[in-house]
Amino acid sequence: MEKLILRRVGHTGEEMLLNFGPQHPSTHGVINFLVDTDGEVMKKAVPDVGYLHRSLEKIGEMVGYPGYMPYTDRIDYVAAMFANEGYAMAVERLLKVQAPPRALWLRAISGELCRIGSHLVSVGTMATDIGASTPLVHALREREAVNDLIEALCGARLTYNYCRIGGVAYDAPQGWRDRVLKFLDHFDSVLVEFDRLISFNEIYIRRLANVAVITREQAVDYGLVGPNLRGSGMDWDVRRDVPYGAYPNFKFKVPVGHGFRGTEGDTYDRYYVRVLEMAESSHIVRQALESMPDGEFMAKVPRKIKPEAGEAFSRVESARGEMAYYVVSDGTDKAYRIRARTGSFTAMGIIEDVSPGLMVADLVALIASLDVVAPEIDR
Amino acid sequence: MPETGSEYFENVKDTVQSFWHGLSITLSYLMRRPITTQYPDRTELEVKDTLPPRYRGFLEVDPSICTGCQACERACPISCIQITLEKDAANPKQRVVSQFDIDEAKCMFCGLCVEPCPTGSIQHSREFEGSQRSVRNLTIRWADPEHPFPVYKVPKGADYYPRAPLGALVRAKFDARPWYAPGPEYLPPEPPSAKKVEPSKPAAAKPAAADSAPKPAAAKPAAADAAPKAPDAKPAAADADAKSPPKPVVEMPADAPAASSANAPAPAPAKATTEAAPAPPATTTGPKT
Amino acid sequence: MPANYAPRYTPKLVVAITLAAAVGIPIAIFGAITVATPLLKPATLDALLPSATPAARTAAKIAGMALLGLLMVTFGAIFSGVIVWWERRIAGRMQSRIGPNRAGYQGFFVWICDAVKLVLKEELIPKDADALLFRAAPYFVLVGFALTFVVLPFGHSIIVADLNVGIFYVTSVTALVVVGILLSGWSSNSKWALFGGMRSAAQVISYEIPAGVAIFIPVAMAGSLSMQDMIRAQGGLPWEWFIFRNPAAFIAFFILFISQLAEANRTPFDLPEAESELVAGYLSEYSGFRFALFFLVEFGNIWVLSAIATTLFLGGWQIPFVSAAAIDAARGAGPLPSLAWWGWQALSVVVFGAKAFLLSNVVVWLRWTLPRIRIDQMMSLCWKYLVPAAFACFVFTLFWQLAVGVAPKIELASGIGLTAFAAVLTLLFARRVALNVREVRGDKYDFSNW
Repeated sequence: MEKLILRRVGHTGEEMLLNFGPQHPSTHGVINFLVDTDGEVMKKAVPDVGYLHRSLEKIGEMVGYPGYMPYTDRIDYVAAMFANEGYAMAVERLLKVQAPPRALWLRAISGELCRIGSHLVSVGTMATDIGASTPLVHALREREAVNDLIEALCGARLTYNYCRIGGVAYDAPQGWRDRVLKFLDHFDSVLVEFDRLISFNEIYIRRLANVAVITREQAVDYGLVGPNLRGSGMDWDVRRDVPYGAYPNFKFKVPVGHGFRGTEGDTYDRYYVRVLEMAESSHIVRQALESMPDGEFMAKVPRKIKPEAGEAFSRVESARGEMAYYVVSDGTDKAYRIRARTGSFTAMGIIEDVSPGLMVADLVALIASLDVVAPEIDR
Repeated sequence: MPETGSEYFENVKDTVQSFWHGLSITLSYLMRRPITTQYPDRTELEVKDTLPPRYRGFLEVDPSICTGCQACERACPISCIQITLEKDAANPKQRVVSQFDIDEAKCMFCGLCVEPCPTGSIQHSREFEGSQRSVRNLTIRWADPEHPFPVYKVPKGADYYPRAPLGALVRAKFDARPWYAPGPEYLPPEPPSAKKVEPSKPAAAKPAAADSAPKPAAAKPAAADAAPKAPDAKPAAADADAKSPPKPVVEMPADAPAASSANAPAPAPAKATTEAAPAPPATTTGPKT
Repeated sequence: MPANYAPRYTPKLVVAITLAAAVGIPIAIFGAITVATPLLKPATLDALLPSATPAARTAAKIAGMALLGLLMVTFGAIFSGVIVWWERRIAGRMQSRIGPNRAGYQGFFVWICDAVKLVLKEELIPKDADALLFRAAPYFVLVGFALTFVVLPFGHSIIVADLNVGIFYVTSVTALVVVGILLSGWSSNSKWALFGGMRSAAQVISYEIPAGVAIFIPVAMAGSLSMQDMIRAQGGLPWEWFIFRNPAAFIAFFILFISQLAEANRTPFDLPEAESELVAGYLSEYSGFRFALFFLVEFGNIWVLSAIATTLFLGGWQIPFVSAAAIDAARGAGPLPSLAWWGWQALSVVVFGAKAFLLSNVVVWLRWTLPRIRIDQMMSLCWKYLVPAAFACFVFTLFWQLAVGVAPKIELASGIGLTAFAAVLTLLFARRVALNVREVRGDKYDFSNW
């Protein structure tokens, strides 16, 4: 295995081969990179993944359909609501059950709040990797507020297990709507301040602009999704282009990178697209709270979930891009195969081809801008 | 790299402007309240009283309203609940629960067990403070194999079920002994040949100790019956130094977990048998599917 | 269920001990410096011991010098420690959190705990490292740091040795730090440590140029390299400070400040050090007391750079409305100075300390606000922005000094004008700070939660 990677790296023995990880403050999880460098400028950086593999897809074949829901949380624990939602959608398609509108709205609201939380982590850790540690703590402070809201909704702050097959687990508690609105008012102004603190900081822009440019064609070829893809100028968002859930009812802009401060597709674009997405998510939540329908929050689903043999595919726009679930059922109450396609996995592939010629400090910026989280890569 | 003179001065101006904003923001934060909660001793209220009602803390079972339906055990996706139902020896019409172990260390706090419970006996409390030195002490035994509790008969047309205050029971379990209390030693499943051991108490204790000589004998409830004879088996069981040998394990208070993890063999009914040999391995292995 | 819970704050005894230490330690060290430095000067010792033999007098002088040296190094060490605590508290509140607040009241003893921890750690020397150089490197850095204290003017007469080449001496002695960094990078026997060390050395050496040129400006304005002369050429009031008396000096202050930040390896210029997050930096193989020495020097350098900037540009120890000559006159004729003189000395030490402490806070503030600059951008900043600006300021100052010789009033005009400008900037900044709090919905001034 080591030899395979070394061959890919093309290590000739003259330069330094460096192990960047798996324990490292800047690699966003347990990922290893083999970096071939002559000190300043890298020749190549090859990712080496698998340190966080937990056989989550295999576990899907052992626990039943409802029992798998908490495991989906752990596929991407930074933005767990989308994983829940995607899985629930896939199994609902298998069961030919439609979640009631109120459930769809609740899923959208909690999903967008989760997206805000996840982008806060991404944006904050990126600032820390570049050297400014204050924005991270401010971002986490806001994420605490988001976590408090979701904790009031479903009881957990990180691994929510909120969606159920056929709807959601709980209705919004008393007074939750007002709390969310109060948070959003506060958050919108904090976002402006956050921009002034770090996004428009000249040193920060110099570190990120024109660094690690990924062109539109490259992004599409490598299968990048989400803010990585939109940062490279490609206007694709699953919520708008393959609408699901409650999203057809909301009007929102999809921020696309166009070289905000440098070239289209550089690290600053990918970073700033996330900042803009946070503002859009806040807008979506407000619309959703306005227009939330009353009614049931859970459809009638049989006690023992035993869909007919078949397969179903669902796509959601997670914080890291398009997350897709492919669930195959063989007629029993346990799935035959559950496959989760995550955005971070494909993002690892592009690092190898963008890294030649970058400095090591820029490699850190590149990894941070791709917003990879290790659990999504390895599942 | 600036190309022109105007870009040069643009850069300087942009830098100064962005620093102006950034520095003013950090200075303004000096004057705002930090959001730190100075847990655990400088908060106004205890933190667990400030948690929302749906908070998923440690699982708590109120045995007085448990109907023994095992719905929670079936719903758990990680098999951390182990329930054994038996017929009451005195009254064969009455079912009793002789084992209701929840491995809080394994639990992933998903709440899937709480939903199917018909009476609300199993709930997520709002307790989160339960660190133990030994992970095996995180297995809470809600049923005492010596004194199994009868299943609850749901009264006709009941609209509520009288439950202990949420969190009281699990807090009592954790407070029953200090956090640094040593955990039970691990008892591996007995090999089939050991089942033919004569059920004489000292001899039973000795093969158990001899069989698991590389691993010291566990303080199982069944072995607890042999414990009064512990001084006899002391040399062999001496390396069960987790507890001081003369103290019989059976004297532990009823609500304290007495034995090993959910993988422990289902204890034999309270009376009689002093077989150190456990129940058949089928119940010792993992998830009941 | 009802719980008997009430919040428990720091016990009164701990509060008392901590306050005693927090107030006592600075008073003790500053007091010792204030009292000892004038007394242990050779001239004073001669006057105090008129009947001793020359040999005894020499011995006394040497002992006096040694004691002063020890006092200065102790001051450096204590300042490093206290600024560690102070920085962590400030950083905490800037990040909406509390810093360390449990080790002693408000966490004051955390620096003692850090020091004890580092001393108790195991000191590893890598197997293939060059052991002699590895052991020697921290001491070069420490010596380079400690030697600067010889000319730091703490007060009106509180300076260990008022060398007539004062500031030149400082510039040359801080070059020892470069030697230490190179040695540590080389002797760690790690290619990456070597690169990190060389990069850091390149940074320090490069930034000596704009620093040196920026230092010329107050030298030209004062006409002397001596630290005390430069301060005496200024006055106590803001428009008498060099920074405002010459528009070029205003810019030179910032050039000096930035260059000194880079020399001290502080954010935003700490890539060689933070490189140790990514890969090995020049410090990576150090542990235990040697590591403590490097960090002592890094935090102590905050004081040195603040003190130098204060001396050169902010009027040093000059007390407003009191002239240095008046204090000289208050000395009296006897061997020991008069009590009034000691009072003025103490006040001048307080003024100097306050100004330097204010600049130290700015250094800390910059660290927790700004991201890091990449090494090539750092070099570009130095050579393309700071050096040309510094030379431009220098040339301007030469002409300015000629003009001042002809029409002295322009200095006063510039002084008052720039002071007003600085006051307006400060007010605008305060307004911006107040607006920040108001613009965020739900935030307000709140000094609670310590």
